[in-house]
Formats: sequence, structure tokens, C-alpha cells
Amino acid sequence: MGILSKSTRGNNRGNTGAHTGGNNPKSPFAMAKLLGATMLALAGVSGVMAPPVLATDSINIYSHRQQILIQPFLDAFTAKTGIETRIVYASKGLAQRLQAEGAASPADVILTVDIARLSEYADLDLLAPTRSTILEQNIPAHLRATDGRWFGLSERARIVVTSKERVAVGAIAEIEDLAKPEWKGRLCSRPGSHVYNRALLASIIAADGETKATAWAKGVVANMARKPQGNDRAQAKAIFQGLCDVAIMNSYYYGNMLFGDEAEQRDWANAVNLVFTNQDNRGNHVNISGGGIAKHSPRKAQALAFLEFLTTPEAQQLYGEINYEYPVNPAVTVTGPLASWGSFKRDQLPIERLAELAPAAQKIIDRSGW
Amino acid sequence: MVAAFLSNWRFSAGQTVDKWSLLVLILCAILLGPVAALVVTAFGDSGGLWPHLLETVLGRYVLNTLVLMLGVGVLAVGFGVSTAWVVSRYEFSGRHVLEWMLLLPAAIPAYIIAYTYTDFFEYAGPLQAGLRDLFGWTSPRDYWFPEIRSLGGAMLVMASVLYPYIYMVTRIAFKLTSSSLFEIALVHNKSQFWTVGLPLARPAIMAGLALVLMEVVSDFGTVEYFAIETLTLGIFNVWLGMNNIVAAAQISIVGFVFILSLLGLEIYARSRQQYAGSGRSQRPLTPLPIGPIGKFWCYLACLTPLLFGFFIPVGVLLKFVFAAPFIQHLSALSGTILNSVMIAMFAAILVMLVSATIVLTSVYRASEKTRSIALVSSTGYAFPGTMLAIGVLIFASTIDRSISGLTNGNVSGLLVGGFGVLMLAYLVRFQAVGYGAMLSGARRLPANMMNASRVLGQGFSGSLIRVILPLLRGSVLAGGLLVFVDVMKELPMTLLLRPFDFETLASFTYQFAKEEMLETAALPALMIVVVGLVPVLLMNRMLRRIS
Repeated sequence: MGILSKSTRGNNRGNTGAHTGGNNPKSPFAMAKLLGATMLALAGVSGVMAPPVLATDSINIYSHRQQILIQPFLDAFTAKTGIETRIVYASKGLAQRLQAEGAASPADVILTVDIARLSEYADLDLLAPTRSTILEQNIPAHLRATDGRWFGLSERARIVVTSKERVAVGAIAEIEDLAKPEWKGRLCSRPGSHVYNRALLASIIAADGETKATAWAKGVVANMARKPQGNDRAQAKAIFQGLCDVAIMNSYYYGNMLFGDEAEQRDWANAVNLVFTNQDNRGNHVNISGGGIAKHSPRKAQALAFLEFLTTPEAQQLYGEINYEYPVNPAVTVTGPLASWGSFKRDQLPIERLAELAPAAQKIIDRSGW
Repeated sequence: MVAAFLSNWRFSAGQTVDKWSLLVLILCAILLGPVAALVVTAFGDSGGLWPHLLETVLGRYVLNTLVLMLGVGVLAVGFGVSTAWVVSRYEFSGRHVLEWMLLLPAAIPAYIIAYTYTDFFEYAGPLQAGLRDLFGWTSPRDYWFPEIRSLGGAMLVMASVLYPYIYMVTRIAFKLTSSSLFEIALVHNKSQFWTVGLPLARPAIMAGLALVLMEVVSDFGTVEYFAIETLTLGIFNVWLGMNNIVAAAQISIVGFVFILSLLGLEIYARSRQQYAGSGRSQRPLTPLPIGPIGKFWCYLACLTPLLFGFFIPVGVLLKFVFAAPFIQHLSALSGTILNSVMIAMFAAILVMLVSATIVLTSVYRASEKTRSIALVSSTGYAFPGTMLAIGVLIFASTIDRSISGLTNGNVSGLLVGGFGVLMLAYLVRFQAVGYGAMLSGARRLPANMMNASRVLGQGFSGSLIRVILPLLRGSVLAGGLLVFVDVMKELPMTLLLRPFDFETLASFTYQFAKEEMLETAALPALMIVVVGLVPVLLMNRMLRRIS
């Protein structure tokens, strides 16, 4: 190791000291050049890629839903009203972006995929309370905020799927059944802390209380065929592969697998039966996708027009056609594949309760190791 | 507060503040702003969540994170150093191709590799299906197969795409080591690798390893998909599950402390040693001829990481691309590709300008304090992207409001909502990459290089531009390339901070990958790799000219 030379940095320091007298005029100049170059780089970026100037009649949307799923609604809205739309999609953190932007925020409409995100915006006081007879007429009271800050726009059921080959029809009727010992080593699910499972557990807390919900979560974990992992589609895939017999899944994934572009996913969907649970008591747990108007929206009238449009029969049908979600508007009848899965009783729990109980649900999830 | 700090700093230095050092301090303040914003957030009220966390999950989070860091660290150093050594020291056919191919895994986003690996290794994947056919097994109960969605799987997957951070800087270190030193080892019948190569490349290896470990601590995509409960997964559970961003910020500070203590250890270990070769080899390092058994080991060393980090994931992506009608998507991608290339290029230039300024000033004229600040300011990499993006948002909006106030509202929204905030975020996050590349290069230059230049009448800036920077071309290129590729694939910050209607390849890929629509996501994902290939090839050509 003789190659490593030991030395101090004293030499360098000495030089630096001698130099700091300012007897070299080049130094600040070079510094300015460097800074200038940095600024130029930044300016270049802004100049070359400056966002287009906002059209006068247009709205800005912060969306937790992918643009691919939202675009048909935007196109229909623009075609009908002439109002253009611009969108930023992100899965998390948009509430913090809106909060940081404060009164200067350009955002008009927030769209989310579940109640947890909606209530995050509401908790941070980022949504404008809105009164609209159209929205109140088109959306049942339990699917919107009492203070008018947010509105449910579509319903998605969290259902149980069972193997066509290995599980008899009717073997599972209640969501509570999943904790029964007979399903030991036969159950699959995504991790408990995923927002969909958290909301499901919140609904069980609301119906059965925390003690029973904790016992249920522990029973479910004990029944797992494998460590909780993957997303909802991966659970159907696991049933198809024979890794497990029973899984929890959102209803629209079934439609997307059955009718989507991905060929192999059709086999996954065809391997399972759908079970709407708790039909003899409270009904199947549902969550919503929803939206609200940003507190500092500069174009609240257009934003409201957009939300109202999303509850019209035309747009409500689109939810079913594009993503196999259920309409919230009671006047809209379900058609197509959605209708073929049969009608079912939905849990009428005020959707706000799911958000209120989410922290308690997460604690149970932490304790049970789901 | 800043003024007080500066005057205090001047007082302790016992001399007027050097302008270069001042510039570095300002740059560091900008880099640390978002981290400071997170620290401030962490000082809020977390609603008594910690007893619950300590009792239930925190131990698991910390243990998993440490084990993952250890595993990925060991594997990545193994991959990175062995490949760098064989391609720079031994002559075997295909060496020149392997030299640049070994960089390719860096271009594959972690959230994609997790999907592709699951597809390949899981029960229905080609590997297990093949084994079942071979042995006549019919159900998962017939045989045991390692679960890819496990801690071990995550180690393999992450090390396979992260080792290029180590490979890249280590290879330059090997190439710049004087060949006479290796000859001394040969004469004394000592191992060239253990006595010369490895010790002299240590700063480079450590610089690369620091990046790898920061990436491990901050990763969300892979650990989420593999369901590994690390600190970062915990951050998101607490933030999104319990609506508690304060506790989330606090957990991310815990991860940050991990990284700081690692850096501290490395500084301590190095504090009494300085590495200095003679700058450039007197004679270029000529690869040694090697026998057939040696060649076999060379190929094995190079092809193993390439197999795991490139061929398997790209193979899976190609399978998906050809399974779906993709022409309609390809034409739609051109604007997206341009967007990605532009932001990656500007970010790479910006990061290298800033890190060159910081590193060279702190190496050649700043005080010990400034050096420490410079080091700490490159730790934004250790935060999960989304958390750092939130810090950037808070910091940038504060600046926006100040500017708006100073100009009576004439200038508002300068950063947030535009490209300024995105560039700031890339700078804060990837400063670590530029810093590591520059520092490991600068450390290898003999101190007297600068002194000689100064004695010969060049000023500090003149010496930097005419003497030091040309000698560090390789490091600048290496750092710039890594930043470019990193920005190309960066997801969480780009997703959250981008302007309206602005898609990059990463954001475009993600919205499909998230829905497990791999057939559609495969093409843009592959484009990230293809576009990342261009600078890799360019840089490799330039590097070869240098060495």
C-alpha cells in the first residue's frame, strides 16, 4: 500500500489564502461567466419549451387518473362546450403542489380515483365549497361531501373473485367469510396498505367495529397463499395460475382484463367468478372516483360546468364504457358488460366515513402485517 | 440568518470571503433549500404516531432497508468493480463492445425492471414454465422456486441496474492509473488488482457506491412492486394511509440520517489518506493478453450483470412490443421523445456546471467547512423522489412569492408550474451524481497540478479552464452521461412537477405500466433505453480518445 501518499491539504490552503487578496481580476469574471451560463441554460429551457399561452376559455386539471382514461371525457366536454382542457397527471403529491402554489395556482379542477385523495385535498382546505342543483340532483347524498367540496363521479365495487375450477358458486357470501379458516393457504391480495384495501377495511370497521375488523384482518393474513403483493390484476393471474383460489379485486379490473388489448389477461379474467358480497345485509363495499373545484381556481364557472358535465348521462355512460365503472347518477341505467355482471346492492355508508376511518384502518394493517 | 452565518464563517476563516467560495455557498444554499423545507415540515406535529410506528412497523422498515442496502451494495460493487477491472486490464475479443454495453442497464427504469422481472421469473413466466415442462411438475406445490418478489429478488434487480454507477467511475479510475504502478506490482509478484487497482480506485468506488445506496434508500417503484417494507414504503403508507405528511417527512429524515452517517464514515476513513497519482499515465495502460481460462472469467464477469441488467428486461420488453400493434403509438411518441431528450440534456449541462463549480472550488480553495457543506448539499438523492419534489415545491414557491413581492407582483410564478421547478428538482436530486463523478476525478489529480499552473502565471479561473477541466474531461462526460440517463428515466419528480400537457417517455410509460398494461408500456419503455444509448455511444467514443 506504499502507493498511497499521506499528505495534508495545507499546501492548497496556503495558496488559497494568498489568492484571496483579490489581486486576480479574472476570478470574478469567470464566476460571472459560469453563473451566466447556468442562467442561460435555464432560460434556454424555458424559452425553447415554454408552455403554450392559455386560451381564454379553458380549464386546467390536476388529475390522479391517468390521462389515457380521462381523455375521452375531455374530448367530449370540449366538443360540447368549446372549453379547452389542459391536464397534469400524477399519482401522488398533487395536493402538495396545489398547496405550495397557493393563490397563484392555475389549477381549476381536481380529479381523483378514491375518497382518500379527495379528503386529503379537503383536509388541506384546497377545495372550494360548491352549490349546484345539477350536481346535487345527479349525485346521491352519500357520495358527495356535505359541505359541497367534493363530488363522487363514478362508483367502483371492491369484489371477491373465486376460481371457477376450484371454488363452488356461493361458497363465499360475505366479505367477512375471507377470514374463515377453511380458506387457509388459498387467499391472494395486494398489500393491505394499498388505498383500496385500506378503504375496504375502513368499511368493515364501520360495519363491525375495530375489534372485529382487527380479528378479520389477522384472519385474512393467516389465510394468505403468498405474501401480499402485486396489483389487483396480478391476483386474478394468480388464480389463473393455480397459486390461490380466492382474491379481492376492484370490479373494473375484471372488465379491463376481459375486454382490454392484452391478450393473456383474458385468460385470467375467464378463470374467475365475480362475487358481490354482503348482499343480504349492508351491500358490497364501494369507493368512488371523484372531483372538486380548486379553492383558488381563476375559472370557477368553467370548472363547475366540467364537473356537471361529468354527471350527465352521456359522461356517466362513458365511465362504464371506458373503464367499467358504475355510474353515480341514479337516472342512468347500466348497459353493456356491466349489466351482464348483474345488479347488486351497494353499501350506502356515507363515503366520507371511509376517509375518516382510514388512519384507524392503516393501524390495523400495520398490526396485522397485511 | 444567512448574513449572520456568512459573517461567522468569515470570522472563523480569519480572512475575507473568497468570491468562489461565496458562489459555492450560494449554490449549496439552493441545493439544500428543498431538504431544509422537508426538515421544517418534519418539525410539525405528527399527532403521536411514533409510538404506534415503533411498536408495529418501524423496526421492520429499518431492518429491511439496511439489509437491502447491504445486499445491493455488495452485489453492485461486485458487478461494477469486476467488470471495470476486466475491460480495462485484459485483452479479449469483444472487449470494446462490452465496454459500452455494460453501461446500458443504467438506462432501464427501476419501475420497469420490476415488472419485467416478475413476468420472467414468476410462476407463469418462461423460466418456471420451462422447468415444469422439463421435470413434469404440474402445480406450485410440486417444487420450490425462489420468490422474485422478495428481499433477495429486490437485491438482484436493483444491483443489476445500479452497478453502472460504480462501473463507470471505477473504469475511469483504472484507466487513469499509471501503468508503471501495475508493473511495480507485477515485478514484486503481487496482485495488480488487490495491491494497486483496488486501493487507487477506492475513491471512485466509494463515490459510485454512495450513489447506489442513496438510490436504494430512496427507491419506491421496485420496493412497492416487490412489496418490500422499507423506510420509503413506510413514508408513503404514513403519508397516504394516515394523511400524515409530517410523520412521513420525519421517516424520510431517518433515511437521510442513514446516508449522512455512511458519508461520515467514508470521510473519516479517508481523512488521513490522500490519493494522488501523477495525473495521467506516462504510458497508456495496455490491456494484458490473457489465456482461455482467463478469458472465460472475463466473459462471465461481463455477461452476468448484462444478462440480469439488460438482456432479460429488454427481452421481456421486446416480447411485449411484438405482441401488440405498436405502429400507432410510435408516431405519437416523437414529441414525447423530444421532450425527454431536451429536459435530460439541459439538466445534464446544468448539473455538471454546478457540480464542477462546487467540486473544483471546494477541492482547490475552500475551507474544510465549505467542503462539508458541499458534500451535504449532494444528498438530495437520498430522499424518495416524491418527497424531494414536495420539498422542491415548498422551496420554489417561497422563492416565487419573494420575487413576486420584490417586484410588486410583476414577476410571479417564475418557477412553480414551469420548467424552472423541474430543472431545480433535477439539480437537487442529481447533483449527487455530478458531484461524485467530479470529486473522484479531482481527487486523482495531483495537488501540484494547480500549484504549477498558478506559479506559471495562470489565475485560478484560468487554471481551472485551461488545465484542470481538460484533465477532468472524462469525469465531466461520465457525470453528464449518468445525469442524462437518470433524467430520462426519472419518474416521480417529473410526474408531479411537469407543466400542463407535458409528457416525457417516463411519464408516458408509467400511466400504462401502472395499470399493468405492459404490452402498451413496453414501446415507450424501450425508447428510454434506445435514446439513452446515443449519449452512451458518444461518450464512449470520447472516453476512448482520452485514454
